[in-house]
Amino acid sequence: MRAFVATEHDLTRWLRGLAAKTSVYFPQKTGSRNFRFDRVDGRAEMSFAGYRPTVVPPGRKIAPEREVLFRFRRDEKGRFTVRPTEPEGVQILAGVRPCDLRAIKLMDIALLDGPGDTPYRRRREATAIVAADCLAPCDDFAFCAAVGSLTHRDGADVFLTPLHGDFLVEALTDRGSDLVDGAPFKACANAADRKAEAEAKRAKPFGRQLVASPAALPKIIEKRWASAVWDRSVSRCFSCGTCNVVCPTCYCFDVRDDLDVRDPLSGERTRHWDACMLPQFAAVADGHNFRPTAAARQRHRVKRKFEYLPNRFGEGSYCVGCGRCARQCTAGIDIAGIVNDLAADGEVAS
Amino acid sequence: MKPKIAFFDFASCEGCQLAVLNCEDILLDLLNLVDIVEFREAISEKAPRYDVAFVEGSINREKDAVRLREIRARSRVLVALGACACGGNVQARSNALPPVENYDRVYGKDARNRVQVDNEFWPYWTHARVQPIGDVVDVDYYLRGCPIAPGEFAHLVKSLIVGAIPSFPANAVCVECKENGNECVFDHGDTCMGQITWGGCGAVCVNNGYRCDGCRGLLPHANVDAHRALLAERELSPSDIHNRYGLFLSAQTRGKEARV
Repeated sequence: MRAFVATEHDLTRWLRGLAAKTSVYFPQKTGSRNFRFDRVDGRAEMSFAGYRPTVVPPGRKIAPEREVLFRFRRDEKGRFTVRPTEPEGVQILAGVRPCDLRAIKLMDIALLDGPGDTPYRRRREATAIVAADCLAPCDDFAFCAAVGSLTHRDGADVFLTPLHGDFLVEALTDRGSDLVDGAPFKACANAADRKAEAEAKRAKPFGRQLVASPAALPKIIEKRWASAVWDRSVSRCFSCGTCNVVCPTCYCFDVRDDLDVRDPLSGERTRHWDACMLPQFAAVADGHNFRPTAAARQRHRVKRKFEYLPNRFGEGSYCVGCGRCARQCTAGIDIAGIVNDLAADGEVAS
Repeated sequence: MKPKIAFFDFASCEGCQLAVLNCEDILLDLLNLVDIVEFREAISEKAPRYDVAFVEGSINREKDAVRLREIRARSRVLVALGACACGGNVQARSNALPPVENYDRVYGKDARNRVQVDNEFWPYWTHARVQPIGDVVDVDYYLRGCPIAPGEFAHLVKSLIVGAIPSFPANAVCVECKENGNECVFDHGDTCMGQITWGGCGAVCVNNGYRCDGCRGLLPHANVDAHRALLAERELSPSDIHNRYGLFLSAQTRGKEARV
């Protein structure tokens, strides 16, 4: 592993240099106090200083809100010809926080399971990640440490740790090593010491805590099917789907055909994000909806994050504790609060 | 044979028909796929039957309702075009007042009293209620918004031509707003109707720095009580809240609102 020390100015200059050759995404200000992973250009303002989690997570550059799966044409006899889409170029996600890094890992595990999702795999393989550590909680809603995201490193090609004014730069993979080649950084001989020193300064406890460990939660939540917490948690819910859309580990999608106006027998099959809090999500043929109430949908969402997917993949909580869903919810519904309420509630498994 | 398409308007600004004419990037291609047989904004031809009738505007008078029923009878598919046809739009606010008070406000007492006995004018005045067209006839599809979203118009026309089922999901504006990575309107101190409003517009108003005023109508599952409570918490007065709901949603929320 190669390690360097760099100033923030060195890092932004380095990223701008990379951006001249390939797409680089970095959190940039949007609105009065939020951030969005936007493409870095000559004018982009870049700072590694603590920013709130972006409105939508960086993983959406790998699983985008809308993508063309293939193009099709139906001829007059009803026969279809299908043309796959061309792969896109290489991209770099920079300024990714440990919570989002872990989310990308969890998405990899879920979406590459079994035969795997080809468009996702293609984009994931073409994505390099420059992650940056957090030494202080970024947002009141975050609970990354409680679900084991804070110390996550797997999946980063380059990892940055803030030191006193400077940054420790570690190339964790061959791809990361290529990225830092020729960068104006100083070699660092005592990387491990400097890193330990920085990490020792972290606040303890780091941000909000859960009353039970992620490992214990599947068993607890399994026994709360009929809990009153579900109903209570949604009295103000708008079923607007915001919590799903901003979640870095929500991967449900819907598939639609967009027809070509010049030739309506041809078109594109597109995939769009879907959201399990939307009332129509679980509607099936003939109109039956097997999760007709907001409470049933909330239960499903929480169980996916803390019970179903942890049991399915054995990688711990599928909630990474970024706090986006609670931060963005205008009804003030907080998944960490729901989990703590459930853990405190008695067993009602009927 | 190309499908015959017609456009009709009732009480409206005809802005949704203009929005159709403004689909410049696809309009000429669309015209290759269909025959437009009635379109007062653009042509003067007439036809006896329509494959698809687009109806803009709300129904304010009995004679409008008669004309609308007659259009329905001649149309295979009938589409509500825009907020007036879909939900009554701003003019439905007049439903909250008795017609005599309403005429008085708009035209003055003298005019009101005079026309009531004038057969030449009274039929034009005699509306009692502003209705969405769905209150009068069966509607096959709703193209929502003030004005409509051009992409949804194109999607519907293309789907109808090939016999595909068009999709207009009952999702809040928030879905598209978040997909765009927008800062939430509530996050910069304003308030918004996005959570309870039909999406499909791509959150165009928030994308451009405004808020959602709810022009696309109330979602079937809208949690109106929670939304009113939220607006009150954000220090909107009861009359502000009344006006927010009254702007585009009065026909859908009338009778459910707190009296001011």
